[in-house]
Amino acid sequence: MPGPQSAAVQTPAHTSVSDGQSSGVGSWLRGAGTALAPIAVILALWEGVALYGGLPPSLFPPLETIFGALMRMAADGNLAADLLGTFRRLFQSVIIGAIAGTLFGTLMGYFRLWERAFVAPLNFLLAIPGTALFPLSMIWFGLTEAAIITILIYEVALTVTVTTWTGVKTIDLSLIRAARVFGANGISILWRVLIPAALPSIISGYRIAFSRAWRILIIAEMLVSVTAGLGYRLYYAREFFHFDLVYAGLFVVGISGLLIERVLLRSLEIATVNRWGTVRELG
Amino acid sequence: MTGDLRIERLSKAFPVRQGWGRRSWHSVFRDISFSVYAGEFVTVIGPSGCGKSTLLCIAAGLESATGGTVSVDGRAVSGPGLDRGVVFQEFALFPWLSVRDNIMFGLRSMALPREERQARADKYVDLVGLARFADYYPSKLSGGMRQRVGIARALAIEPAVLLMDEPFGALDALTRENMQSALSDIWQGTRKTVLFITHDIGEAVFLSERVLVLNGQPSQIVLEVRIDLPRPRSRHDPQFQAIVQELENAIRGRASVGFQQQANNEEVTS
Repeated sequence: MPGPQSAAVQTPAHTSVSDGQSSGVGSWLRGAGTALAPIAVILALWEGVALYGGLPPSLFPPLETIFGALMRMAADGNLAADLLGTFRRLFQSVIIGAIAGTLFGTLMGYFRLWERAFVAPLNFLLAIPGTALFPLSMIWFGLTEAAIITILIYEVALTVTVTTWTGVKTIDLSLIRAARVFGANGISILWRVLIPAALPSIISGYRIAFSRAWRILIIAEMLVSVTAGLGYRLYYAREFFHFDLVYAGLFVVGISGLLIERVLLRSLEIATVNRWGTVRELG
Repeated sequence: MTGDLRIERLSKAFPVRQGWGRRSWHSVFRDISFSVYAGEFVTVIGPSGCGKSTLLCIAAGLESATGGTVSVDGRAVSGPGLDRGVVFQEFALFPWLSVRDNIMFGLRSMALPREERQARADKYVDLVGLARFADYYPSKLSGGMRQRVGIARALAIEPAVLLMDEPFGALDALTRENMQSALSDIWQGTRKTVLFITHDIGEAVFLSERVLVLNGQPSQIVLEVRIDLPRPRSRHDPQFQAIVQELENAIRGRASVGFQQQANNEEVTS
């Protein structure tokens, strides 16, 4: 048996898994670099194909053409109007759908009566995609904005109900017991305990709901006549063969979705589950 | 503000499906009666499966008994209530609340003015020695610290009775010993009525004035030991050891409950 082990632990000179706070600016730059590198590569590839790929420039425009179209959209006020229109519709429906879904899902996750009553209708409706209901909503509301918003609320409410329901059902039993013995009986248990405890699942549900709603919204705006909206802009651009506008429009759609996720949902996460330590912070 | 706990002819049985739609009842314990007088520290010990945790759950109002009653200060218990504070084995702290807010959780359910709530929270976070960590979230605390918060949370509602379900079972041996001493001090200071559940005989002898042994199939109180040793108690004291031995014999005297369950199912006329 060799002699007593050395008390000092050998720390490797370089750890790939972050073990604490490394120097502020350096690590931020590294983080930003890691995030931007793939984007830079894709853009470089795009330029390469556009300039040297032998494809017609109208079908595969180089970046400067797309950028020019983007600038034109911004300059004549269309971009602002489109973003406003689309986001207004998005937030109206998501807020209503999310509140309804969270409430309903929590009730289903805690009270057996609610669950028994609504599990069958819920699964029935889940099987019907929102987009398949378009013809129906257009019959009811005509080619108006109400037709779009109804479908969006439907999708968001269903998605959030399901994720919240399963989230609440998986809350640790000991937390429920603690809630009950310390006076959170009756309906107050919903906002005092059930929703905070299920928040990781609930936020995850919001994320999925946002993404679904966004996708349906862009398509819906193409089908229903709205005066301003990103989907509408894409439809209009295609109708008039302005392909650079189509690419620019798609770019804006993608960036908008990204920003919603990074700015809105990520902030919500940081303010809640990350601060509490209920969700593992990577690295 | 301390009361007595009376358990009278308490029984608990679970239905057990036996195939072909037949159902029989497995009786966990039957006709258990004992009291915990005001200011007493009583521990119930027994082998795994003897129903000691179930007994506590019934006293806490989280489960219902199939027979008998539990009363606190003469009032029968039918559900959870703020007259009984509970400390859980898994701590069960609310992760979205700070230490202070966890302690205040029960207080919010009572009609107390704000200053009173704050004052109590400060008092009890101090009592368990966590004043410096009052704004921390549970995820940042060690196991021992979390259970201290659990104890403070239960004490803060100033209940008539404190119910503790193997509160130190999830802690390592060293922390457990520290917590036992801490609890003993806290109890001497507050003189709460405590019903404590554990499988650790040494812990029971260290903390309690009376120890009840639950054993048998179905479980019964097979032994009651009164402990008059002065505090702080020493585990090496020969008298201490003697009591531990006596209790151990009572627990080992009968076969372990768990493995006999299937063979000894009873029909209980409902």
